[in-house]
Amino acid sequence: MAIAEPVARRALRTTSRRKTRNLERKASVAAASLFGVVTLAALLAPVLSPDNPLMPAGAPLLGPGKGGFLLGSDSIGRDVLSRVLYGMRTSWFAALGVIALGLLIGGVIGLVAGATGGWVDNVLMRITDAFLALPAPVLAIAVVAALGPSLLHTLVAVSIVWWPFYARIVRGEIRNLAARPHVEAAKLAGAGRLRIAVRHLLPGAVPAALVTASLDIGNLVLTLAGLSFLGLGQSAPAAELGADTARNLSFLLQDWWVPVMPGIGVLVLAFIGNIAGDGVRNLIEPD
Amino acid sequence: MHLAFGPAAEKTVTDPGASTSEAQAIEVASIEDLHVTFRRSGKDIAALRGVSLDIRRGEILGLVGESGSGKSVLGLALLGLLDARADVRGAVRVAGRDMAHCDQSARREVRRVHLGAVFQDPMTSLNPTMRVGRQVAEVAGSKDEAERLLGAVGIPDPASRMDAFPHELSGGLRQRVMIAMAVAGNPDLIVADEPTTALDVTVQAQVLTLLRSLRDEIGCSVLLITHDLGCAAQVADRVAVMYAGRLAELGSSAEVLARASHPYTLALLRSRLSLASDRTTSLLALPGEVPNPAAPEPGCAFAPRCDLAGPACLDAPPPPLEVRPGHLSACVVPAVEVTSRLAEVVRAAVVPHPEREPHNDDVVTLYRVQKSFRVGAGRTTRRLQALRGVNLTVGRGESVALVGESGSGKSTLLRIVAGLESFDGGKLEVAGPDCPQMVFQDAGASLTPWLTVGEIIGERLRGISRAERAAKVAQALAHVGLPAEVAKAKSAQLSGGQRQRVSLARATVVAPSILLCDEPTSALDVSLAASVINLIGGLRRELGMSVLFVTHDLSVARVVADRIAVMYLGRIVEVGDADQITSQPVHPYTQALMSAVPDMGREPVALRGEPASPLAPPAGCAFHSRCPKAIDDCGDALLDVRLTAVDRSAHHLAACIRATA
Amino acid sequence: MSALLAKRLGAIVMISIALAGVLFYLQKISPLDPVHARLGGQASASAVAAERHRLGLDRPEFTQFVDYVRGAVHGDLGDSYRTRRPVSTDLRAYLPATAELALSGLLIAMVLGVLLAFATTLRWKASSVLRPVLLLGASTPTFLLGIAGILLFYSKLHWLPATGRSSLADVPGGPTGLITVDALLHGRFDVFWDAVQHLIMPATAIALGPAVAIARVLRSSLVSDQRSDYARTARAKGLSEPAILIKHVLRNCVGAALSMTGLQVGLMFAGVLVIEQVFSWPGIGQYVAQSIPVADFPAISGVTLLLGVGYVVINTVVDLLQAVADPRIKV
Repeated sequence: MAIAEPVARRALRTTSRRKTRNLERKASVAAASLFGVVTLAALLAPVLSPDNPLMPAGAPLLGPGKGGFLLGSDSIGRDVLSRVLYGMRTSWFAALGVIALGLLIGGVIGLVAGATGGWVDNVLMRITDAFLALPAPVLAIAVVAALGPSLLHTLVAVSIVWWPFYARIVRGEIRNLAARPHVEAAKLAGAGRLRIAVRHLLPGAVPAALVTASLDIGNLVLTLAGLSFLGLGQSAPAAELGADTARNLSFLLQDWWVPVMPGIGVLVLAFIGNIAGDGVRNLIEPD
Repeated sequence: MHLAFGPAAEKTVTDPGASTSEAQAIEVASIEDLHVTFRRSGKDIAALRGVSLDIRRGEILGLVGESGSGKSVLGLALLGLLDARADVRGAVRVAGRDMAHCDQSARREVRRVHLGAVFQDPMTSLNPTMRVGRQVAEVAGSKDEAERLLGAVGIPDPASRMDAFPHELSGGLRQRVMIAMAVAGNPDLIVADEPTTALDVTVQAQVLTLLRSLRDEIGCSVLLITHDLGCAAQVADRVAVMYAGRLAELGSSAEVLARASHPYTLALLRSRLSLASDRTTSLLALPGEVPNPAAPEPGCAFAPRCDLAGPACLDAPPPPLEVRPGHLSACVVPAVEVTSRLAEVVRAAVVPHPEREPHNDDVVTLYRVQKSFRVGAGRTTRRLQALRGVNLTVGRGESVALVGESGSGKSTLLRIVAGLESFDGGKLEVAGPDCPQMVFQDAGASLTPWLTVGEIIGERLRGISRAERAAKVAQALAHVGLPAEVAKAKSAQLSGGQRQRVSLARATVVAPSILLCDEPTSALDVSLAASVINLIGGLRRELGMSVLFVTHDLSVARVVADRIAVMYLGRIVEVGDADQITSQPVHPYTQALMSAVPDMGREPVALRGEPASPLAPPAGCAFHSRCPKAIDDCGDALLDVRLTAVDRSAHHLAACIRATA
Repeated sequence: MSALLAKRLGAIVMISIALAGVLFYLQKISPLDPVHARLGGQASASAVAAERHRLGLDRPEFTQFVDYVRGAVHGDLGDSYRTRRPVSTDLRAYLPATAELALSGLLIAMVLGVLLAFATTLRWKASSVLRPVLLLGASTPTFLLGIAGILLFYSKLHWLPATGRSSLADVPGGPTGLITVDALLHGRFDVFWDAVQHLIMPATAIALGPAVAIARVLRSSLVSDQRSDYARTARAKGLSEPAILIKHVLRNCVGAALSMTGLQVGLMFAGVLVIEQVFSWPGIGQYVAQSIPVADFPAISGVTLLLGVGYVVINTVVDLLQAVADPRIKV
């Protein structure tokens, strides 16, 4: 029986993929790699910014392109571009941080619940459901209000309300996998609980968790910007996208660029996040 | 009987002279040199490669083939339901239209007026959120007609079933609803794609009988697509055998069965199990696997697996030629030569089983084992009684088959022996030292997708060096007929037959005292099933294992097992030597199972009803509600039918007060 | 059905109590002392002790919690540090404006979501343009949508008003507090039209993101069910594609769209709080925005409790609707 044949056939198939297919894949890879590009740009924000975001660098309220300010200057003459770049940097890292924490906490809880089953699963999922039954952003506002407004507190608050989402997804995947005969076969082969969880269950939940996480970055950027807009973030001089729009709303009708540009910064970040997320999904779950 | 809505008039236009005697000869559908190519992940998949076929008025044409033969694609082509992106050449004529190339609205019209369809899985094929009455009325035209049709297809109390949702009906009733929709409006042709595959054995026979009686009543033609030659031969007037997108053989059922002329048909007939298969030798398995439809060979697609293949087979696919009037075969070797030369090959291939030395000790002993599951939650909790007291022993080196329909508890019993499920009462003893191993129905799902075969098999080998482990894995693979390179492959890269072999390699890399098999062949093609059965038998003898084999098919049980235990609703109703059970079944249920095995040239005998729900097993003898021999005493709630010796033989026991009294 | 209803009502109560517990605990761990928040930092020790006693803070924590829940059930959410009025009184004043905005947004989101899903599933003309537009719409922060709308439709085109709920002085004080509904009840179509004009921009701004999310889920559900076995059966019967979509597929897909709608309501609440700032909408968002800088915890926890319970109630309604749509969900 020629077993090696299908393996070889498989290799053949990958090399002989049609051009369109190849192009789609390349587009997805390019989109997914935007995550890296944005992260790099965020790291380099101090280099990319023309001016210090906190110090006046020229005349106040100059329009975009005037006085050497690409995106104009704000009411005390600070460079809007620099402020937006620094704000994007903060937003991006904040979003990544919350997602990483959510994946970690939610992943562990989902894995434990899904792999153990029984009452452990019941208790953990009841707690998760209780969190999910509440509107996350509103709960975050209450947490920050109690702890006092600061970026760190906002991130802690959002992380607290964000992980249950991941716990649900990971747990669901693990439950589905646990019902497959391959787990029972591993049990009969003598694999212990830990080995089954780590080797026979967890790898199967990784793709779904990754896809969810990457599609979630855009959402998180938007949510954090909204909270920042409400004043739940860094205090006044710091550059923060939502807060910069909120504080400068009164300039909207005359000097529109001051409140609008930070909003566009959020849009760009969320848009890139969504495109990259789509790319990751297409790579991991090609339809 | 005519349609209540318009298109009846058009029907007579497209089918001139439907009632004249000439019309009997006219075909309702004719397929001319049909080629269908799909594009999947950038590759061209040749599903049909030049098929010509007529379906005559009023006939049942059985279309037989293994997976990938293109039989379902042919059915969809007739219905005009091929994917719009498929490349279709040739013609599919139904009611004067070319279903492959005419516009959508014309296709819709033909489907609505002239065609009916029955698909494999009635659960997913019915809309889950629409009452069945409305679904039937959608084609029948009116509620009254729908209700009449539900009655006509044998649904008891159709008026009340009109308001049922599909999930509230049993599998057999759902398929009857599908059939009611298919016959609504008196179509010319019903395309039935594996209509019985998803159903229980005893229900299959009912559905086949129903299809044929409807044909007799309405006079429509039926295209019965199936993987089972026996099932087709049993009800069809003519049989068409397909292989790799082409017609291999076509002829009247009797003719094809008695004088099969194509080597593939002969191979199918040989590897097919029936109640008459020889138990004393290995089965004649077809070597190799179904060809890859993405890379079709220029010559005869069957040549690589054919014992008679010569250089002439490799140039061009042979066209179907008439071997006798009305009997076509697509083989370059003359029909007479095919049969005589193959008979010789077969004689050489048969290997008799060695005699088994009897062992006296038991590997598995079950005593009054009970198991129930909780179903639902809160106030709606009910208990599903999966096992209601089972006694069974499996001797060392012995092979025992558990046979039964869905809900019989056969799989639960197997899982309890494996230790994957706990039990509520009774005793279970399994001889050590290591735990039993199991092969599953879905071999692909039983292999961890992201691990290599080597890692999966190696999981059973602890505490030895890497090199030793690799050597043992290679040895186990060799045992199941796979080369050592397979160790590096992952499950997705293997074919169905290879996966089942890998799971057998995992189970036997360290020989267990007992191998548990959960329908390991039911998802495989006929030709592969035979080789897996041979393999299990060979491993058992070689390694001295016992085997507990779960199957719904008595003909499989008969060849794999020394003893057979027939189960119904959580109890063993008859147990004995395989020969005894299949030659002189005593319990009415065993008898019914025997007659439900589709076999050529034998009328299907249908048992009424469907297996009762294990949520509420009938009182007394659980089978009495379906039993043709039941008397009043059988339903007595106080009756406790026990397994009793038949003819004072300690080996053959049956639980029936009518049979053993 | 009644069993499911009872179970769901029980769940609402349980989750509300859990939320109250979380808020109570947050108050406890908060570094901001409620007594100092009331009396200021300069208050004497005896005054602080008296205030603690008056507020019941010297009693066991569990008793305090029970009192808190009991009070919340009776509508007593404590007093705001800032306004010095009971939070419930404040909320009552702000709630109708927010409710009107949120409900309009929800309505727009659902209608828009269904339209977008159908347009892309049935490949209506120009629907291919929709994909990038949808992606962009889903990436735009609510406040940017709001201010862009003001710049375009108010500042530039002068089509729509930019602030408040109504520009008329004699708005009828109706039974519901929702201006549109009250205006219709009083037969004042001028007031109704004016209120609608004020609603359009903020409601659309909060609805766009959720609409895209609903459309995506509904679309993928429609597309996958179009390929299902039962759709094939319907096709074999000779039904046309639009008939299959509407008669067979839609009902099977409602569930997915509904549960997404329920989820989006939570995000929409956050959007409401934000957009009220942009449009000077006299609702709960204003109240929250004024409370955050002064750390007025009773006010914020009152809002959280109110919105949390509202969210749970809406999601319960969604669950019940799903059970109505799908007979397989056991009631």
